Amino acid sequence: MSPAYPLRSIVYTALFVALISVGAFIAIPIGPVPIVLQNMFVLLAGLILGPAWGLSCVAVYLLVGLAGLPVFAGGTSGIGKLFGPTGGYLLGYLPAVFVTGTLSDWLGKRPVFDILSLTAGSVVVYAAGVPWLKIAFTMSWGKAMAAGMMPFLAGDVIKIAAAAAIAGKIRPFVRL
Amino acid sequence: MAALNLFAFRAGTTALHRLDVRTKMVLVCMVSLAILAADFTGCLACFLVLYGLIRTIGISFIRLLAQLKWFILLLIIMLLTSSLTIPGTPVFSLSGVMVTQEGMARGALVAVRFFLVMMTGLLFSATTRPTALKSAAQWFLRPIPLVPEKRVAIMISLFLRFLPLILDQAQQTSDAVNARCGNLHKNPVRRIRCLTLPVMKKTFMAADNLCLAMDARCFTEDRTDPAFEKGGKERVFLAAGGGLCLGMVWQAKVSFWMTFWS
Repeated sequence: MSPAYPLRSIVYTALFVALISVGAFIAIPIGPVPIVLQNMFVLLAGLILGPAWGLSCVAVYLLVGLAGLPVFAGGTSGIGKLFGPTGGYLLGYLPAVFVTGTLSDWLGKRPVFDILSLTAGSVVVYAAGVPWLKIAFTMSWGKAMAAGMMPFLAGDVIKIAAAAAIAGKIRPFVRL
Repeated sequence: MAALNLFAFRAGTTALHRLDVRTKMVLVCMVSLAILAADFTGCLACFLVLYGLIRTIGISFIRLLAQLKWFILLLIIMLLTSSLTIPGTPVFSLSGVMVTQEGMARGALVAVRFFLVMMTGLLFSATTRPTALKSAAQWFLRPIPLVPEKRVAIMISLFLRFLPLILDQAQQTSDAVNARCGNLHKNPVRRIRCLTLPVMKKTFMAADNLCLAMDARCFTEDRTDPAFEKGGKERVFLAAGGGLCLGMVWQAKVSFWMTFWS
């Protein structure tokens, strides 16, 4: 394979764009609120692809949704969704994947560091999403956090644990 | 694939199928923004137009509802949550739980907007060939500096190739896990791992095979630029779509000021 042309990275990036899109449709029923795997794949893209390709991956995902393909959660799409009340979470994926990838590169590829990187990425998603939600609905910080963060924290812990386990198993297959 | 059957491209010869993909993308953006600003009247007008267009491509209302039953359930949960959490004039209360008029109105409007955005996406994806979408993305990104538009277009075409593959493999793996009573595991991390790990292994192996096949065929980014087919009604659709969007936004503003002054 030609060393100048990053064909493998391009293919893997496209694969993660597809995984993120499919993650919006795959729901694992655990209790009354199902876990949607979309943000787990976003953070996993940072771990596996690194910051630059991870960022490209999320940018392409947002572009595809912006273009009109129904890849956002619940089969939605379009610029209205991207700049709507939950748009902060979607746009927050960009810095989140970058932070996850950068931390993973700095700290190393051990499971405990993966968990740290994934946690930092999750924090970035909420740091972008909750203030956006607060402004969009003109609600107090307490209500914004109660509506846009608290119900998902338990699911996030599960997703971080699962993503760290998956990253450890998947890395040997990925030859970037 | 079942989850996305409705969103798959449906071959046809309708005006929407023949419309230039770039025009369709501009219309999707305009309608999505107008839906965000519209109130119930505007949303109703938008629904009628979108439903009429969906009927022209051969999707019945019953099929639409049947395929979107889980999505509609999500919208109902959203409506209930808003009704119970947003303070306002009580409609009725039961054991201390109060359903408010304002909450119901707000929740219903958000649910209707979600449904309309989904209908817009459905119309777009059902009448647009994946290759046309890739070409349009490349065309729109060309003027933006520092963005490798050909590379992005390749990623979009690969993404469209991987999407059905992953869905099929996820369905097969899910069936296999359930057949082995994997769905009865109490540990949620184990359940996620049981589903995603085999799917990801299989898809990464498929991606590796694709890399080898592309490399063996000397794949490069220097490919023939896309040609766009115009149906001849682009201006009509843009004018009609623009009129609808302006009407929706104007109606919402007028309605807001009338309520404000009264």
